[in-house]
Amino acid sequence: MKEMVFSGFGGQGVLTAGLIIADVALAHDMYATWIPSYGAEMRGGKANCVVKVDNEQVGTPSLEEADILMAMNIPSLEFAERVKAGGTILCDSDFVADIPEHRTRNDVEYYFIPFNQIAREIGNARGSNVVAAGVVTALLSDMFDKDTAKDAMLGFFEDKGKGKFAEGNTKAFYAGYDYMKSLLK
Amino acid sequence: MAKKKMMKGNMAIAEAALRGGMDIYAGYPITPSTEVMEYLSGRMIDLGRVFIQAESELAAINMVFGAGMMGKRAMTASSGPGMALKQEGMSYMARNNTPAVILNVTRWGTGLGSLNAGQTDYLRDTRGGGEGGYRNIVFAPNSIQEAVDITYDSFEVAEKYQNPVVIMTCANLGQMEEPCSFPEFKTERPTFDWAMDGTGRGIAARQRGEGSIEVVGQHTLDKVNAMIENEQRWETFEVEDAEYVFVAFGLPSRACKDTVKALRAKGEKVGLIRPITIWPFPVKAFAKLGSQVKGFISVEGTNVGQMVEDVALATKKVKTNLPCYLLNHGGNLPTVKQITAFYEGVKAGNIKEVF
Amino acid sequence: MAKNIKAPEALKPHRFCPGCGHGVIARVIMEVIESRGLTNNFILNRGVGCCCNLRSIEVDGLQCSHGRSCASTRAMKLLAPDTCFVTYQGDGDAYVIGLQETLNAAYAKSNITLITVNNSNFGMTGGQMAWTTLPGQITTTSPYGRPVDGPLPIQIPEMIANSFDPAFVARASVQSPAEINKLKKYVEKAIDAQMAGKGFTMIEVLAPCPTNWGLTPEKAIEHVATDMQKYYPLGVFADRT
Repeated sequence: MKEMVFSGFGGQGVLTAGLIIADVALAHDMYATWIPSYGAEMRGGKANCVVKVDNEQVGTPSLEEADILMAMNIPSLEFAERVKAGGTILCDSDFVADIPEHRTRNDVEYYFIPFNQIAREIGNARGSNVVAAGVVTALLSDMFDKDTAKDAMLGFFEDKGKGKFAEGNTKAFYAGYDYMKSLLK
Repeated sequence: MAKKKMMKGNMAIAEAALRGGMDIYAGYPITPSTEVMEYLSGRMIDLGRVFIQAESELAAINMVFGAGMMGKRAMTASSGPGMALKQEGMSYMARNNTPAVILNVTRWGTGLGSLNAGQTDYLRDTRGGGEGGYRNIVFAPNSIQEAVDITYDSFEVAEKYQNPVVIMTCANLGQMEEPCSFPEFKTERPTFDWAMDGTGRGIAARQRGEGSIEVVGQHTLDKVNAMIENEQRWETFEVEDAEYVFVAFGLPSRACKDTVKALRAKGEKVGLIRPITIWPFPVKAFAKLGSQVKGFISVEGTNVGQMVEDVALATKKVKTNLPCYLLNHGGNLPTVKQITAFYEGVKAGNIKEVF
Repeated sequence: MAKNIKAPEALKPHRFCPGCGHGVIARVIMEVIESRGLTNNFILNRGVGCCCNLRSIEVDGLQCSHGRSCASTRAMKLLAPDTCFVTYQGDGDAYVIGLQETLNAAYAKSNITLITVNNSNFGMTGGQMAWTTLPGQITTTSPYGRPVDGPLPIQIPEMIANSFDPAFVARASVQSPAEINKLKKYVEKAIDAQMAGKGFTMIEVLAPCPTNWGLTPEKAIEHVATDMQKYYPLGVFADRT
């Protein structure tokens, strides 16, 4: 079972990135839950979701101990204390340049990723959430196959009537995947 | 069954109701249930069915009342405070033997409530909050697939007893997504000799609802007894040798199941009873327990204990004077850590029982 | 020469007080329904109050909850557009507790017929003040008379006629055979308009309540014809039939 938190400002696409990963899990015949943060804070610009993927039905869908935290802004680091030892924190380097001291953990891996820059470079400036999905897929490549995951991502947008962005989204997904792979080497 | 797809709980229930034969939906927007009516506003038109955005919760439930009396499959959805407004209409429906399905996507709290999920509607919805002397069947699914399956067949349950059926989910189950698939559209539809169609055949049904105290009273008692006998649904997990049994319904029950698995791995003898119907409360599940049980822990999203009262009554089926403990987890889902810590407190004798 | 008109078959003996207007109105409605051949394609929903007594009429119909009959009737009509629907309510039911449902049914252009019996008080509960109560009128909740500088008697037909583009709206009275004949014409128009799918139709009927007014039936009729009509003019307010 893998437990993930995607957190950022509203509009950064963290909810969508989480949904894509849930669909990726389904494409691998796994089970998934996706639960958004819910309440007044949603309207204050903060957004997050918890995604759990497992080979059997997921128990409680809410956050227990995360394997992965995707932190797209500084306030998202409040979840750092909920990451399990040995877990991973993925930071958007455009917004999270330094980790505040009180949020620093020595028992987790930090990666700093320029999601927006990657998206811009491949000519899909609005595709940073797809880049993020590619990054998580790479991080979980022992569970997820790159191309199966890409197809699941395309299917996700197809279902939303956004199939025409397939080319740009494919590029963004692979760019995120490859970037994370290069960091993991 | 088609391949499973991720779907939001509210929308999945709406789709299941469509496939279960819903003829009419009438509702009023209220967070966190609104996606139900948003989803249906288009789908019902596409399918040539009736959708009404009502002027109020009162109007909506009375629209459902009228439709149900015509033998049509009618549904409304709301959340805590809106459900409160519907209670009078639901009492009329119970009195007039009206089948209908009412979805409560609960909030936590009192008065206006909050936007958090909660189970503070437990006593009102299980007892019926309108003019008294009736009960509603209340289903409390703990996954989106289970919510789909229950909703799909809920109209038949309502028709069998000619009584409102409540489906209680919560803000979390309504807003979250998980994989589900949908059964085919129902095509077979029963006809009812009591249904009003303008020809006058509904007169007898009308007169039964308006009959004497003795006639109406006996009819309701028979109906309620039949529901208690036939409709208790539950799931048990690891209760065979359990010394402490958690009782939880809806989404929180999944954290309890996780906890049972974790504690069992450490050799603790714990189990879970998960009511799928919270009314009728699954007393039969308790009657099957062995005498090794030392206590019950009601895990509920309330502030003041509610289900723990039903748990305490149901323990009479095991043996007398078994302690019942209460873990109120309020407006958030309980964590495994929280439940485990509570259990350890109970076992160590540091927590006082409620009953 | 007097004609001997047979009462509509579905109409059975009722339980209204002597001198009450309800019985006449019920008969007029059922005469129109029968004359249109609608007796077996008719649903008569009732509000709460004296109109509950219409249960004696042997047709399909719901005993609705107080004030909500327009809401129930709206939904039922959408499910059976070819069936004739009348919601029969008192002034307390339709204009006080059910004001919201009444106005919204009209606003929604619901294709139903609302008959409101206005006797300027809550009859069934023993004669309390309603929004229809006349200034100065003594009721059990306005023992010194309804304040003359307070709210005016509420005029819902005028409001609906002016605001919501209804198919037909009128106010009638049961004060005399001539006015009862007019009432019947209005009911015919309303039912015909509904069956032609023209939209919301409504008739308010001024009716005596001798029991709660503390008047003889004759004096009560006189009160309807004089004092009540100062605030409730008779006539047609909207007609696009």
